[in-house]
Amino acid sequence: MKDGLTVSFPSHPKYLSVVRALTGKIANIYGLEETLSEDIKLAVDEACANVIKHAYKGDTKKKIILKYINTQEKFTVIIEDSGVRADLRSIQGRDLEDIRPGGLGVHFIRRVFDVFTFDEKKAKGNRLVLVKYHGKAE
Amino acid sequence: MNIEVIDYKGRKVLALSGEIDMYSSPELRTEMMNIIGEKVSALYIDLGKVSYIDSSGIATFVEGLKYVKSYGGRLQFCSIPGGIMEIFRFSKLDRVFEIFGTLDDAIGS
Repeated sequence: MKDGLTVSFPSHPKYLSVVRALTGKIANIYGLEETLSEDIKLAVDEACANVIKHAYKGDTKKKIILKYINTQEKFTVIIEDSGVRADLRSIQGRDLEDIRPGGLGVHFIRRVFDVFTFDEKKAKGNRLVLVKYHGKAE
Repeated sequence: MNIEVIDYKGRKVLALSGEIDMYSSPELRTEMMNIIGEKVSALYIDLGKVSYIDSSGIATFVEGLKYVKSYGGRLQFCSIPGGIMEIFRFSKLDRVFEIFGTLDDAIGS
């Protein structure tokens, strides 16, 4: 059975704590294990922070749409914005051995989600699709 | 996030609590740079009551470390909760940060 929730929030960093709390609660409702839920909270926070920073260039008055979808097979988070298009090929994050400020957010997303991709069909802005398959070891 | 600047046994300590994220890290950066801008020999950062940190918080600490190293100072962390330590390990920061169990351990090093 498919179950889900959609919310939108302003692109202001002050709402990231709300996003984390909500994501943690949703993960709890869908029965995700506690450690996994913490990692998912961090990943969704980083993805939304990237939208504010890169897609909206710091504009705090835009809108971010978050969709959580759970099925027997997988837990999906979709993050939509109407900002500057991201190029997946240019989103690599820094080498973890190269200790310097920045470039870690993508690693925090990729370490927990099995799928990290942008829906190319979205005409304006970005639709980031993050998928975690149930029962798959991290 | 709450930031307390404490003078402990003559040392400067930043005692942090709550969540460090994109919203709160600019304030942390300002407080930290205010102290290390005076080129203190060591700044101690107590993370005992921190419940969350994201990449912007980590970037702030890495920037602070680079700055103190530039003048031969030290940035020392103590009382790191398990969840935060796990993030430090994943980011390989446990290899470059000076990490201690307690504030007294850090001061005695």
